[in-house]
Amino acid sequence: MEYNGGSVVAMIGKDCVAIASDLRLGQQSVGVAMNFEKVFPVNDKLYYGLPGLATDVYTLREQLRFRVNMYRMKEEREITPKTFTHLLSSTLYEKRFGPYFLEPVVAGLTTPTELEPKPKPFISTMDTIGCITTPKDFAVAGTAQDKLYGMAEGLWEPDLEPEDLFETISQTLLNAVDRDALSGWGAIVHVITHDKVITRQLRSRMD
Amino acid sequence: MNAVLQSLQPPARHTNEDEEDAWGYGNLDQRGGVRGMMVPRVPDPAAFLNLHTDSISSNPAAKIKLAHGTTTLAFRFKGGIIVAVDSRATAGSYIASGTVKKVIEINPYLLGTMAGGAADCQYWETYLGMQCRLHELRNKERISVAAASKILSNIVYQYKGMGLSMGTMICGWDKTGPALFYVDSDGSRLKGDLFSVGSGSTFAYGVLDQGYSYDLSDEEAQELGRRSIIAAGHRDAFSGNTCNLFHVRENGWEFIANYDVNELWYEYEAKKKAGASQAQAQKDEGMAVE
Amino acid sequence: MAAPGGGGAYSFSLTTFSPSGKLVQIEHALAAVAGGTTSLGIKATNGIVLATEKKASSLLLDTSVLEKVAPICPNIGFVYSGMGPDFRILVAKARKIAQAYWKVYGEYPPTKVLVQEVAGVMQKATQSGGVRPYGISLLIAGWDSHRGQSLYQVDPSGSYWAWKASAIGKNMVNGKTFLEKRYNDDLSLEDAIHTALLTLKEGFEGEMTENTIEIGIVTVPTAEQLQEKPGERLPPTFRKLTESEVKDYLSL
Repeated sequence: MEYNGGSVVAMIGKDCVAIASDLRLGQQSVGVAMNFEKVFPVNDKLYYGLPGLATDVYTLREQLRFRVNMYRMKEEREITPKTFTHLLSSTLYEKRFGPYFLEPVVAGLTTPTELEPKPKPFISTMDTIGCITTPKDFAVAGTAQDKLYGMAEGLWEPDLEPEDLFETISQTLLNAVDRDALSGWGAIVHVITHDKVITRQLRSRMD
Repeated sequence: MNAVLQSLQPPARHTNEDEEDAWGYGNLDQRGGVRGMMVPRVPDPAAFLNLHTDSISSNPAAKIKLAHGTTTLAFRFKGGIIVAVDSRATAGSYIASGTVKKVIEINPYLLGTMAGGAADCQYWETYLGMQCRLHELRNKERISVAAASKILSNIVYQYKGMGLSMGTMICGWDKTGPALFYVDSDGSRLKGDLFSVGSGSTFAYGVLDQGYSYDLSDEEAQELGRRSIIAAGHRDAFSGNTCNLFHVRENGWEFIANYDVNELWYEYEAKKKAGASQAQAQKDEGMAVE
Repeated sequence: MAAPGGGGAYSFSLTTFSPSGKLVQIEHALAAVAGGTTSLGIKATNGIVLATEKKASSLLLDTSVLEKVAPICPNIGFVYSGMGPDFRILVAKARKIAQAYWKVYGEYPPTKVLVQEVAGVMQKATQSGGVRPYGISLLIAGWDSHRGQSLYQVDPSGSYWAWKASAIGKNMVNGKTFLEKRYNDDLSLEDAIHTALLTLKEGFEGEMTENTIEIGIVTVPTAEQLQEKPGERLPPTFRKLTESEVKDYLSL
């Protein structure tokens, strides 16, 4: 985890979710890139973040792209956040004895069905071998994990509207990575609402 | 002769019991000498320290993490010496502080920089200040930078292998003009024109080397020091936050300013972009003429 | 060298194309199905019914232990016509497939996905060396959040179709004709169960009792039933009717 550095945070709001990451890619103490995104879309209602070893970020992202595309074709539907979490967890556990050095965070809205017409916000996170936790408030991971917990614990409140959630997650991320030597160097935030995804790059400390 | 011999002996290892004959301040004796540090009562104190701190090796399992990452630099030029440092202190990957004073003002003519163990640098350079003042009182003239740095290097050499960790630059102006010495806890003591110490030193050297010349003007020299610290603060995870800039001249050192590394970085980036677009505009213009 | 079932270059599939392009083994398998007891399925607006006749070759058999309608996972059930032993193997495979799906996705497969998997298993038996096709046709009924209730038929060849209503086995032709007359698009599950019993009655040999037929139903869950409660499983959407329930339907 400490080799490349990087952090991800996700938060639940009112009928929306947000997921954000820093943009640093390092080699130990040396900063190498400031445009290394760790959060990827599955579809326009579901994003996931992979903080950890950069080489595994690419490998797992491609593995998941493959599996989600196979799912999409076989089932003729989009994968739900909950099902995706399980798929990701099984994929990680396949490498139980030689794990991916990643701590994924998932954030999405459930697609409305006849029986569940209201889109429900969903976040989850897991360890390197796929043990799932589904918090009701926020999920954090990466080298700034403990600092993110501190910030999120202090700033998060229930039922935040998209713009307020954006502010909360941005302040949480920015202030946490400013106390972490291995995260920072830029930041990006996605707020997922039922009709659109708001993506913004943040101006952050570059030292 | 006996006195000389005695002064060359390593400091006695005191334990809590023989406290009664200490009547100086703290662990200083009547004459102001360091009577010897308290050492853990174990067969191999160095191994003991190694187990619990990361000061000798970079033992990642160590319980006590000492401030490590740093960028400090100093260089000699015709206008004196420029000393520039960052202000970040890290414990593991945690940024413990962003407002550390890494330039130690030994006295109005001498500066020392801090890299490695913060406490080691702070303690021994303050102690060095005391010895320099004693020298001044005894000899009715200021100590030379060479002599001052030698006192420090002798002290740390006595503790060699016991976990002291410091990489410092002693900067000052004496009869010989601006003088700069690098002293570290391994016992090295080097005279030179340009040094940079710490995890960010490679990045600082990069900027420093391409811009350094002995004949720099004061403004150019200060800007070079500043720019080097910004570059290191940007690239090195364990350096950053702010930059403290000092200028040593004939009549003592002057504190120039404290800069926010981040703000300066964005300024330099803006200038770089403006420069690039200007160059492009000129190129386009040139092509239009042709 | 060419030991039977031992693989190698000489181990050809038993289902080899005839010069006219037919796979006779599959046709024989279909004949086995056509000789089997009748089974049928009807899709309703709020569920599905699967029904079959269960004939005992001897009075002494304990028919309550015979199982021709099989739950595969909480949302899907099978019924068959043809060879009983082949059905048991396929049920065991299907249950494993459903559990494997659950292990990866944390939910049971949608009906269509399970149908495709099982059809895949059946197809493989028409192309592999050393095996014969399964001697059964399946009716698969299930409910899932994506497509709601759906009814499929799978044949020994591995072909599958989605039906509103279908019959397989000995009486399939008559059964289908009967269903075509009786079926309409706004049938309720209760109506469908009665239609199923009436269809089964056509050409039923002997007396139709709770011991000689089996019924499975798919119900559409309410939003409340889909609400997850900690430490509780969701109620199943496929279940078999008990003998007493069947008796009640027969007496109506």
